[in-house]
Amino acid sequence: MARIKGNIKILSTVCLMAVASAGVGHAQDKPFEGVTLNLASMNDQFSTVLVEMAPEFKEATGAEVKVDILDYGSLLTKTTADFVGNTGGYDLITMDIVWAGQYAQNDFTVDLKDLIERDKAELGTDDIYPKLMDALGNYEGKQVAYPFAGYANVLAYRKDLFEAAGLDVPKTMEELVDAAYKLTDPSKNQYGFVANGQKGPAVAQDWMQYNAEMGGSILDEDGKPALNSEANVKSLEVYRDLFKKAAPPGAADYDWGGREESFRQGIAATMQTWSVGAPGYFNPEISKVVDTVGLALAPRGEGLPELYGIGGWGLAINADINDKQKEAAWAFIKWITSPDVHKAFNMKGAGSYIRKSVVADPELNAKYPFLPLLDTAFEKGDGDYRPRIPEYPEIQDILGTAVNSVLVGDEEPKAALDKAQDAAVKVF
Amino acid sequence: MALSASTEPLVNQFAGFGGLTFAQRRKMFLIAMALPALVYVLGFGVYPLLKGIWYSLYDYNLLKPARTEFIGFGNYVELMFDSDMQRSLINTIVFTASAVFFELVLGFAIALALWRDDRFNRICLTLILIPVTITPLVVGLIFKGLLLADYGLIGYYLAQWGLSDPRGLFASQNTALATLVFIDIWEWTPLVALILLAGLKALPTDILEAAAVDGAKPLRIFRKITLPLMLPSVLLALTIRTIDAFRVFDSVFVTTGGGPGNATNTLMVYAVKEGLSFFNIGKASAIANVSLLCTAIIAAALIFLIRHYDKKASTQ
Repeated sequence: MARIKGNIKILSTVCLMAVASAGVGHAQDKPFEGVTLNLASMNDQFSTVLVEMAPEFKEATGAEVKVDILDYGSLLTKTTADFVGNTGGYDLITMDIVWAGQYAQNDFTVDLKDLIERDKAELGTDDIYPKLMDALGNYEGKQVAYPFAGYANVLAYRKDLFEAAGLDVPKTMEELVDAAYKLTDPSKNQYGFVANGQKGPAVAQDWMQYNAEMGGSILDEDGKPALNSEANVKSLEVYRDLFKKAAPPGAADYDWGGREESFRQGIAATMQTWSVGAPGYFNPEISKVVDTVGLALAPRGEGLPELYGIGGWGLAINADINDKQKEAAWAFIKWITSPDVHKAFNMKGAGSYIRKSVVADPELNAKYPFLPLLDTAFEKGDGDYRPRIPEYPEIQDILGTAVNSVLVGDEEPKAALDKAQDAAVKVF
Repeated sequence: MALSASTEPLVNQFAGFGGLTFAQRRKMFLIAMALPALVYVLGFGVYPLLKGIWYSLYDYNLLKPARTEFIGFGNYVELMFDSDMQRSLINTIVFTASAVFFELVLGFAIALALWRDDRFNRICLTLILIPVTITPLVVGLIFKGLLLADYGLIGYYLAQWGLSDPRGLFASQNTALATLVFIDIWEWTPLVALILLAGLKALPTDILEAAAVDGAKPLRIFRKITLPLMLPSVLLALTIRTIDAFRVFDSVFVTTGGGPGNATNTLMVYAVKEGLSFFNIGKASAIANVSLLCTAIIAAALIFLIRHYDKKASTQ
C-alpha cells in the first residue's frame, strides 16, 4: 500500500512537472531570470513548506527564492539590523503582526498600497478576509506587509473529559473558568486549564488574550497605556487563581512548547491556542489525545461583543532593495497568495490561511475539519488585542515580568500592574 | 629639471632609511611584526569599546532615530535608580561569588584526589572534563528538560517527593538562582580542577617530602606548605572563572529568561534585552560598560594578588 502511494506520488509529481514545464517553456516568459530573492522566514509551520515550494516559483518566473529560517528572536534582530543599516540583505521578510507599528514608523518596508492598486484585477483581494488585510500589514493607512499567514485563537478541549463530567463546551469565559475548576484532579494528574506562564513574551501574549476575552484592554481609548485598569486587575486575579488551582504546577514556567506538550500529553483538559498548532493534536506520533481532542471558537466574557483574537504573519518587501528586486519580490507575494498556490501551500500543512475560498475548500476541509472555526474567527477578528504600536516590544516585556511575578506569588495583581503602568508611561 | 624633481626625494628616502641606527631599525621591525595583531586589537577591541562608551552617552534607539540626543551620563544616572538594574547587579554578584566559591573548593578537592599520576586518575580526569566541552547553551537546555516539574526526568520526582517547589526549581523565586549556580558548578568545576591539578604537579616535591620526613601531619603539610605554594594557581583559576561567571548569559537565557519575576536577571541578560529586543543602544551600552568596569576591577585586583604572591614565592 505504502509503495503504491509512493508510486502515485512520483507519478503525479512527474505529471505536474511536465505540465508546468510545458506551460512556461513555450511561453519563454521568465521575467526574473537570474534574480535571487532572500526571504527571512519565521520558524513556523509554513517555513519548510516555503522551502519546498520555492523551486516552483523559479520554474514559473526564473527567480530563485532562498528561504532563511530563523527563530523569533533572531528574525527580529537580524531583520532590524538589516533595515537600520540599509544593507538590503533580505528582500522579503515575514512580519509578525505586532511589528507593524515599528515598520510603519520607520518606513522599513515598501508601502504596498500603489502596487495593490495597480494589480487589483490580478490579486483578487475581495477573496481575502478584510480583517486579515488590515491586521497583517496595514498600519495607519500604510500597507507595510501583505497578508500571508492568518492565525486565530481557538479553544482546544478534551471531548472525553467534558462528556464524563456532563459539561457543555464553554462558550463564555465564565463557563470556561468554571469547567477548568471542575475538570481539575491533581491525584489523576489532570488539570482543567493550561497557559503560558514563563516570564517574557510567552506569559505576556497569553495573558493579553485572556485579558481581552474577559473585557480588559492594554490601551485606553486615546491609545495611551492603561495597564492597571480595573478590568485588567480583575482579569489578572482570575488568571492567577486559575494557575494556582487549575493548571499543571509547572505551567508558571511554560512557554508555547511546554504548553502545547502538556495538552498533547493529556495533562490539560482545555487550552487556548493558535490555530496553527491544531494539526499537531491529530498526529498520533506526538499526541496522546488524537481521538479525544475537540476544537471550538475562543470563548468571550458574558455580554461582550463577539470578537476573536487573530494574529499571524504578513510578507513585507525591504525598502532598501533596487526596483527590479522589488518587482520580483512583489511577484513572489502575488504568487504565494494566489488562490491555487495558497491552497497547495496549505495542503502541505502550512496552516496559513488568508483567503475565504481556501478556507471553504472541500479538499482542505476534509483534511482539516476545524476550518469553519477559522472562517468565523477571521470574519469577526480582533488583531489589536496585542497593540500593534511601535512601543509594543517594551509593553510586552513590562507585562511579561509583571504577570509572571503575580503567577509565582511574588506580587499582588494590583501592585504589579501599578508598577507596570508606571514603567509603560515612561516608554511613550 | 623633471628628472631631479622625481629622483631627489627617492634618494633622500634611501639616505633616511640608511641613517637609522640599529636600535631604531630593530624597533621598526618589531612594530611591523606586531602590526597585524595591533590592527586586530585596535579594530576589534579598542574601537568597539570606545564606540560603546560613546553610544552610552546618547539616548539612542535604532527604532526611534529621530529621538537621538546627547544626554551625557544620563543613562548611567537612570541605571543607578533603576530597580531592574540593581536586581541584575546583585544577582550577578551573588551568582558569581557562590558559583566560583564552590567551584574552587570542589575543584581543589578533585585536584588533590587526582594528584597521584596513575592510569586510573588519568582516566578519571578525562571523564570529568566532559561537561567543560559542552556549549553552555546546550547545558542550559538539557537541565531545563531534566528539571521540568510536570514531565522532566528529575524535576518530576523532585516535585512529587516535595524536594522542590511544585512549580519546579526554575519557577520558584527561592531556587531558580541556586539552580543556575548548580548548573555552573556542574559545568565548570572540572576546569578549575584541571588548573589546580597542573599547579599541584608543578609543586617542588622535595619540600613536601622533607616535611613528611620531619614528621609533619598531612593536614599541617597542606595548610603550611601546599596551600601557600598553590596560591598563584588558585588565583589564576579564580580570575578566569570570575571573569567568565560575571558575564553569564546563555544558561540563564534558555532556562528562565531572567525569571521568575526578576529573580535570575543578570547584567548580560538585561543588556541583551535592552540592546537586541528593544534596540535601545544607548542604555544597553551603558549596562555593558558597568559590567565591564566591574569585571575590570575584579580582574585587576586578582592579577595584582597573583603578581604579589608570585614574587613572594620566587623570593622564598
